[in-house]
Amino acid sequence: MQDLLRRYGPGLTFMMGLLVAFWLLMLVIVPNITLFEQSFRPYLPVTEIGGPRDTYSLNNYLKVFDGKVEKSFLGHVFTIPVHVYTFSLTIFYSMLVTVICFLMAYPLAYYLAKIVNPKSLPTLLLLLFIPLWVSEVLRAFAWWIILAFKGPLNALLQGIGLIEDPIRWTNMGYAGVVIGLVYTYVLFMLFPVYNAIQSLDSNQIEAAEDLGAPWWKIHWRIVLPHAKPGIASGSVMVFMLSAGSLLVPSILGSTTSQWFTQTIDQWFKDALDWNTASAYAFLLLLVCTLFVTLAMWVFRVKLSDIAK
Amino acid sequence: MKHDTSAFSRRRFLQGTAAGAGVLAAPAIISKGALASSGELNFTGWAGYPLFQEKIFPTFEAATGIKVNFKELPDQDTMFAEAKVALEAGGIDVIEPTIDRWGGWNSNGLLQPWDESKLAMDNYLPGLADGAAGERSRADGKLFYVPSNWGTEALVVNEAEAKLSDPPSLGDLFNPENSAVLRPHSTLAAMGRWLDAQGKLPRPWMDGYTDMAAMTELWDIALAEAIKAKGNVVQWWSGENEANAGFTANGATIGLCWDSTGFNLRNDGYKYIAPVEGAFAWHQGLVLMKNAKNIEQAHEFAKWASTPEGSALWATAFSSNPVGKGSGEFMDPAVSEYYNGTFNDEALNKLWWWPEQSAEFIAKRTEYADKYKAA
Repeated sequence: MQDLLRRYGPGLTFMMGLLVAFWLLMLVIVPNITLFEQSFRPYLPVTEIGGPRDTYSLNNYLKVFDGKVEKSFLGHVFTIPVHVYTFSLTIFYSMLVTVICFLMAYPLAYYLAKIVNPKSLPTLLLLLFIPLWVSEVLRAFAWWIILAFKGPLNALLQGIGLIEDPIRWTNMGYAGVVIGLVYTYVLFMLFPVYNAIQSLDSNQIEAAEDLGAPWWKIHWRIVLPHAKPGIASGSVMVFMLSAGSLLVPSILGSTTSQWFTQTIDQWFKDALDWNTASAYAFLLLLVCTLFVTLAMWVFRVKLSDIAK
Repeated sequence: MKHDTSAFSRRRFLQGTAAGAGVLAAPAIISKGALASSGELNFTGWAGYPLFQEKIFPTFEAATGIKVNFKELPDQDTMFAEAKVALEAGGIDVIEPTIDRWGGWNSNGLLQPWDESKLAMDNYLPGLADGAAGERSRADGKLFYVPSNWGTEALVVNEAEAKLSDPPSLGDLFNPENSAVLRPHSTLAAMGRWLDAQGKLPRPWMDGYTDMAAMTELWDIALAEAIKAKGNVVQWWSGENEANAGFTANGATIGLCWDSTGFNLRNDGYKYIAPVEGAFAWHQGLVLMKNAKNIEQAHEFAKWASTPEGSALWATAFSSNPVGKGSGEFMDPAVSEYYNGTFNDEALNKLWWWPEQSAEFIAKRTEYADKYKAA
């Protein structure tokens, strides 16, 4: 603040402060508070808003337990509310996406940080960044085209004689969604992990090699523990972005996949019930936050580690 | 505009807000217009369709000398709220709701019937103001609602590859030999109507729209049957692009889609077919406020909306279909040819108009759609 004052003078500093305050207050805090307040009120016709039926309750939140469906898992048959089912699968597949992103990002990050010739590093980073400059919508659509029934992947596989009949890649459960999310968010894992590994003193690795440690032990005992904060912040980002993504699941989803954000979207657009939609959105935020906190506790990562 | 899915959209809301600001500034202009020779008309309709101001009202004024004061509103809930205010304060003569809504307006005491002798009921295409739609336009035998434009949802089929029964039926959507592109909630309704037509339901499918207990009973059956047939669904659609891509990129051979999808694919070997059970259809129309001041002008207006030119302009404004006979010459010829290819008089008479769906019904319907998707 002092710096700002000295550099730009009181007038401009005040304007900047005002703009930031406007941004936070009007574009972030007020809309969220409005939705939060709406989420406790029933969806009523325009004429009844503010009337006797317009009271606060938790009913919108409890709707997540409506509509039981029968499912079986490992031969065990049980009934589960359909939205809870959707929610669980969203969490599960977001975790899967996070794990896959980590498995892809870790070797690459290690290669970039410790092995590659520093001269070619900027080129490699640039190559990695370019996809990030393309809109998420276009990237999801690109995958949709690649995976389409009459798309290039099937044409290629048929062309080289690997398959005879085209395969419906976009209609295999959550496969399309997972592919799309991994592609979209893998860089959010790569860069934090890369940063963390980069800060590791290479002498430690050499020392371990000198003392005869096998390569996997070097990673397990030295690189991974050092990279833990980077992995944690990458995982939090990938997980939260995946669980909250609407675009990729809508575009790349199959006829059997349903993401929880799509359920929220349906409440908004099909049912026109913004109140229940808000309740579901806050539910998603709350449970994901709890889940991440729990995961951080299990892996013994502190928030301050991530902030580093 | 597809009323069964989204009577409200953000865009409409924004446009409505902008229009509202315009209305606030309007009184000066309006009172000046009140001096015009053949009177004026206060019309409340849909926001977001600029052709009304650009073409429709000027043409109407040139034909009749009646000046239209237009108030644009974004959705029917707002129209209803405005109408309730106008019942006390005046200022609205004619409003344009959908056919499934005016009943509720009437029971709130907002409407008065049209005088049929001042309209031209022969102007309307068969099936739009008579038959099932005609019944739903009346209360106690009096005509409360006249149509202004309409649209459909029916079978889009790949002419070479789709396996169709003779005559084509909604059941073809569930034939395992076809690959289908569908949207969940209208598919469940299609299943229900198909089962109903075969007499396989314990009670009429229509009961579900008025009685929630009947709704769950009937939709449980439709859901179970639809899940059994889910194997041939290759893709869901929720908008025009997805539906189109479902056919072109994902190789679907049949779908239950909007007329616009069939129109866009008409030159690629696809055809838009009305099933024997009748195509799904919506229509909107004009109602007369109970305390309307300009009753003569309102009748002129409703009558003009059924003429070839008026109905063609109306349909063009909404990118939908005209209600009047002989409107073809005023429409894009490709569009007319396309609709005439799908809807002969018999198919028009069989149109199945989306019934009123209450908020409670739609919430439940969404839940069924979820279950169908999750199966």
